Amino acid sequence: MRYTRFEKARIIGARALQLSMGAPSTLAKIPKDIVDPVEIAMLEFKEGAIPITVRREDKIGRVV
Amino acid sequence: MTAEKTINKKKKIAKNKKTVMDEKKKKETKKTMVAESKTEQKKKKIVTEEENRGITVFPILLDEKEPGEHKKIRQKINKILKNRFLPPAIIDKIIAKVAGDKRLEEKLEIIIDKTWAEYSKNLIDPTEACGMVSAQSIGEPGTQMTMRTFHYAGVAEINVTLGLPRLIEIVDARSTPSTPMMNIYLKDEYRVNPELAKEIANQIEITKLIDVADIEMDLTNMIIYIKLNKKTIEKKGLKADDILESIKSIRKIDAKLEKDVIKVTLDEPGYKNLQTINEMLKNLKIKGIDGIKRVIIRKEPNEGYVIYSEGSNFKKVLEIEGVDPYRTTTNDIHAVAKELGIEAARNMIIQEAYNTLLEQGLNVDMRHIMLVADVMTADGTVRAIGRHGVSGEKSSVLSRAAFEITVNHLLLASQRGEKDDLNGVAENIIVGQPINLGTGAVELIMKHSKRMGETTSAEKE
Repeated sequence: MRYTRFEKARIIGARALQLSMGAPSTLAKIPKDIVDPVEIAMLEFKEGAIPITVRREDKIGRVV
Repeated sequence: MTAEKTINKKKKIAKNKKTVMDEKKKKETKKTMVAESKTEQKKKKIVTEEENRGITVFPILLDEKEPGEHKKIRQKINKILKNRFLPPAIIDKIIAKVAGDKRLEEKLEIIIDKTWAEYSKNLIDPTEACGMVSAQSIGEPGTQMTMRTFHYAGVAEINVTLGLPRLIEIVDARSTPSTPMMNIYLKDEYRVNPELAKEIANQIEITKLIDVADIEMDLTNMIIYIKLNKKTIEKKGLKADDILESIKSIRKIDAKLEKDVIKVTLDEPGYKNLQTINEMLKNLKIKGIDGIKRVIIRKEPNEGYVIYSEGSNFKKVLEIEGVDPYRTTTNDIHAVAKELGIEAARNMIIQEAYNTLLEQGLNVDMRHIMLVADVMTADGTVRAIGRHGVSGEKSSVLSRAAFEITVNHLLLASQRGEKDDLNGVAENIIVGQPINLGTGAVELIMKHSKRMGETTSAEKE
């Protein structure tokens, strides 16, 4: 499934919030110089390692 | 948002029609009634199932007149595309380019794949605030439009409102444009033959008595003499008797034709009566269509004779024989909506707005204007953008209250016991929620871990 830019922003944002509050990263190795939770979240998103996805509805309101 | 929904609906209806038509064609080839109904049922089931799953079915459209080579390429393209969508206009362009070029035809698959990739890249994301983008994209160039309007159109003799005033006129959905105008196209023989074109022009242009005759009052004898101008009468294709007849339609007078002069006498002689009758005679319509003040015939390249008119009466002009009702246009959008329907009105709004902007050298993307036209015509009538139209008739109370006369709207709504579903932007901001657009419309859910042996539907994809 391809995410729209809005979905991507929300997923990374939500994950960054979790990380900033102390959640452990799903990545085994994070480069030492990356400290910002948003950047870590983006790294995780790139790897497809974020345990969050979106629920979509079609135009009539059914869950796809 | 509503416009989007209606577009989707329209598309769906059109799609259904196409599938039904396909079925009909197949139906004819079947021999027995039983087999027929069975296959039909099967087909219907498949269609509805596929539609239920949200898979779009694009029927292969074939034009009967299309040359054989183009047809083959079109079928090939449809095969390559499968369930992917490309607008017909783009496919037509590809066909035009590929046809007759063997090397390109071999690479058709690559071409289609790349085109599709580029097309998908340019598609707008769902929940994008496209209305906002449109409003700004039209509004910004609008500020650059010259306030001073140049009255100019293709025909130098006819004045047409252009620029900002015309644009305002369009989005305000005024009932009559300040300079109504028509482009009247003619049918086959009429557009080649100047005599026939002139005949139609004479039927359309309004001719008043004062145009073809000199009217003189004889105050001592209380008689009005109408001296007909023979040349102009002939030019207009009139007869003296016709004029006499139309004069006689005025009440309380008597008219007699003596050579080229019509003598008008009053039933009740009097100075005041004479004056009023004189005025009536001056403005008496002899021939033509109400509302059309002036016509100009021009010969256009690749077209023949076209009639341009100042003033508009769409209905009456379309009824005239020799006028091509398929191409004749007017800038009176309400008349178009009334005579040809709301879809035609939508197209007219798009055309008029786009051309007005283009005239000023402002290149606004067609899609922004299309969205505006869609919003204006979504409910089947032409509505204005603004307080008297779209904004004033929103279904949501809070949205209306946020727009204008807050207290009145709230008071009336509470009296009626109105309900608000908080679907729009303004409503959600008022109650302090994220709006239902962009990132605000995304609903997050947790993915279940793969180790637990569960997979969500999202992961399957």
